Amino acid sequence: MTDATVEASNLSKSFGDKQVLQDMSFGVSPGDVIGVLGKNGAGKTTLLELMLGFTPPSAGAVRVFGHDSYSLPGSIKSRVGFVPQQDELLDQLTVADQLRVIASFYPRWDSSLITRLCGEWGVDTNARIKSMSVGERQKLSILLAFGHKPELLILDEPVASLDPIARRQFLEQLLTISADGERSIVFSSHIVSDIERLANRIWILKDGKLDWQGDLDALKESIVRLHIRGLKPELAPFKILGLLNLRRDGAFATAVVRDWTPEAQEALEKSASVQIEVETLGLEEIFVELHR
Amino acid sequence: MFILNPQSGVPIYRQILEQVRRMVASGQLPPGTALPSVRDLALRHTINPMTISRAYSILETEGLLERHRGRPMTVASQSRNHTQLPKRLEQMGPLVEQTVVAAKQLHLSEAELVKAVRREWEQNDD
Amino acid sequence: MKAVARLVWSYFTGTPVLRAFTIGGLTLMAIDFYILATQPQAGEKFWLAMLGIIVFFVGSALMPVMFGRLARSHAAGVLPGGRVKLLISVFVTILLVAIPAGVLAPAGFVSGNISVPEFMKDPRARDYVLQLSAITFTSAVLFAGWMYLAMWFLTSQRNMAGLFKGLLVITLVIFAPAREIRDLTVTLLWNLQQIAVIWIVFGAGFLLWPRFKAARARRSRERFPGFDRALAGNTAGREFDVMLGTANPWMLVAALVLPLLLATRFVREFPAVWIYFLTICSVVTGAFTGQAAERSRALWLRGDWSRPSLFASVERSVWRHNGVVLGVLLLVTVGIGKYARFSPTLLMAGLPLLVLGTLLSTYLGLMITRGLRWLEIVSGVGVMLSLMALAVLVARERVDLAAVIALEIVLVVLAIVARFVARRRWTQIDWMMCRPDRAMTARGA
Repeated sequence: MTDATVEASNLSKSFGDKQVLQDMSFGVSPGDVIGVLGKNGAGKTTLLELMLGFTPPSAGAVRVFGHDSYSLPGSIKSRVGFVPQQDELLDQLTVADQLRVIASFYPRWDSSLITRLCGEWGVDTNARIKSMSVGERQKLSILLAFGHKPELLILDEPVASLDPIARRQFLEQLLTISADGERSIVFSSHIVSDIERLANRIWILKDGKLDWQGDLDALKESIVRLHIRGLKPELAPFKILGLLNLRRDGAFATAVVRDWTPEAQEALEKSASVQIEVETLGLEEIFVELHR
Repeated sequence: MFILNPQSGVPIYRQILEQVRRMVASGQLPPGTALPSVRDLALRHTINPMTISRAYSILETEGLLERHRGRPMTVASQSRNHTQLPKRLEQMGPLVEQTVVAAKQLHLSEAELVKAVRREWEQNDD
Repeated sequence: MKAVARLVWSYFTGTPVLRAFTIGGLTLMAIDFYILATQPQAGEKFWLAMLGIIVFFVGSALMPVMFGRLARSHAAGVLPGGRVKLLISVFVTILLVAIPAGVLAPAGFVSGNISVPEFMKDPRARDYVLQLSAITFTSAVLFAGWMYLAMWFLTSQRNMAGLFKGLLVITLVIFAPAREIRDLTVTLLWNLQQIAVIWIVFGAGFLLWPRFKAARARRSRERFPGFDRALAGNTAGREFDVMLGTANPWMLVAALVLPLLLATRFVREFPAVWIYFLTICSVVTGAFTGQAAERSRALWLRGDWSRPSLFASVERSVWRHNGVVLGVLLLVTVGIGKYARFSPTLLMAGLPLLVLGTLLSTYLGLMITRGLRWLEIVSGVGVMLSLMALAVLVARERVDLAAVIALEIVLVVLAIVARFVARRRWTQIDWMMCRPDRAMTARGA
């Protein structure tokens, strides 16, 4: 328990009378790459900023490397990197100056890595930030969080404005970072395909709670779409465990279920004397079905 | 070497499992062939290495792959393969089920299906 | 026309706070008008009307910002007649804000006379009242227009260039009329001519702006690299200040001193006007601190500071900046004092006034940790008015030293209270609530 990178217990957050997060408990272990999914307004940004102490929890606690995040000591802060949703770049500086300013706050800064990435990602170090496009600004924001080689990297919609090639380069760099299995990454994104590539664990935020908190592989194996044939029309609607969605069309039906197992399928086929074909679902389909 | 689709409903580790099993069974991966390292594969396909090493571990316990210190994993020698008949049959399971279901839908008899299979087997011998 | 009406309505009622100001201003003006209309010899009650007009004007403070945003938005260019309607809405707003002045000034004048009905029977008196009304109205149109422009510079372009332009406009607004009043060159015709010229130029410029912008975009991006570098300044060793925006006090010094120098060309005497403008400068010095809370967000994860110790570092950084500017301002004031022939009392009472201006605005600025809400706006306006009142007292022929000292002591106490509140707020600062729009996105995400 104590070597968890992040640990939260019964975390709640409300702004005024609006409750954004309710009673959440979760953990991040070294080597995890966690993709956070949720509708707009589900509380992703609130969750990520709570984890780093930008805002106090209304109830419960969250700890990073064992320390309460609201009062993180400097030794922990230097092991954490954050890319916020809205960039915090200083318009009047050049890229080089901005990098230099941020680098000055960290005792260990890998300038050769940053220089190399600037070259690979096409970031002009002499450009003035106020004249940069949104995509270039986003790339710079990401770079600012890489330089001190943090052990915990938290990114809030880091690639919303990047083209597919830039995104691919970014993913490759994240993979390189997490390759040693000691660093953890938590990132929220709407680009589900990126999450499918990179994450080993998924958090799905819905209605202020973690609707799913587990392995991506397990998620894909748990939520499936059943194509049911041979339904007797007079048969009353039957009960399927873990049903998320059911659509019936005469003798056919489509049911999206969670916590599916082969045993459950066999039992259902026998009890309702139907034939069931299982369709596995990609992450985007799963997300949509969970929100129907 | 592998065709991996991260957007598929089939988890990546399972895609690797199925492809390795099929390729070993069909002889496309003869014993002793070195497999790409976890890291290489992860970077080439831009996917999480954990899912790859999970597949490799499972294949190792199944006896399909062998781990070597300091060198990439290799396909295990054939002798260890022969003891895996039940596994290989299980591997064919979904395909057999699909074939049988299709045949029944087309109102073919069991004998007709077996005849068709035999014909295909003979044709495919080269 | 409906769109224009809706725009104007939202300028005045856009946020709950500003709506309250609009209603409050209208109420005060209505009360004063009633007093003027029903009580004879009530001309001195004009200050109530002035307050009402100021409050009403503050109620429309949303207009420059909204105008700026809408003007730059896609909608303005795409919707039929979008830019024209925007322009008309601005003009209508200015007219609305100027009407009370046009109505209340003659009302005050008339009610100051013995008997209103008899007075109004005289055709020459009627003419005079109409003339007065027209001049006051058109002067108010001009003044309001310039004030909105200054506000737009100050709020829309949140950087030194904006501040400089805003102060330049305020210089024009404060000093040029002073000379006009002294030289008695205010006439209705002159006002109308100014309004016509200004609005033709502004209207044409605004409507043709998209074309101008397209032409400019085709040229190279970096026009004055050396200038930009000078603006950024040398940052080594002062990264904390760079992040906070307090690294280069000389920018603000330039933005303040240059308009002051320009003003010396307009007027030499009028110590009251000078003190007014210098007070504005001293307040502006501290006002930039209002962004400190927002900008400190980027510092949270980057150093070994708790929230209380972050406040201490921020306070030190802010004074490294404001101290320099205040120092220069005080020196310049002494120089201006000699040039404008201030009395020694004025100088002695005026310098502490400037120090107070910076002190108060600095700590009020540091209090802004949750966007601008009631307390911040009311205390800001209140402090501004008190400083203006103090400026008036200090600039009188015979200075009431007791009142001045008393007021200055009150303001010192206020500054101490403001610091206390600011420090307490920073120990619990919640960066998700720092900016009002950020707070809104926080509630949404």
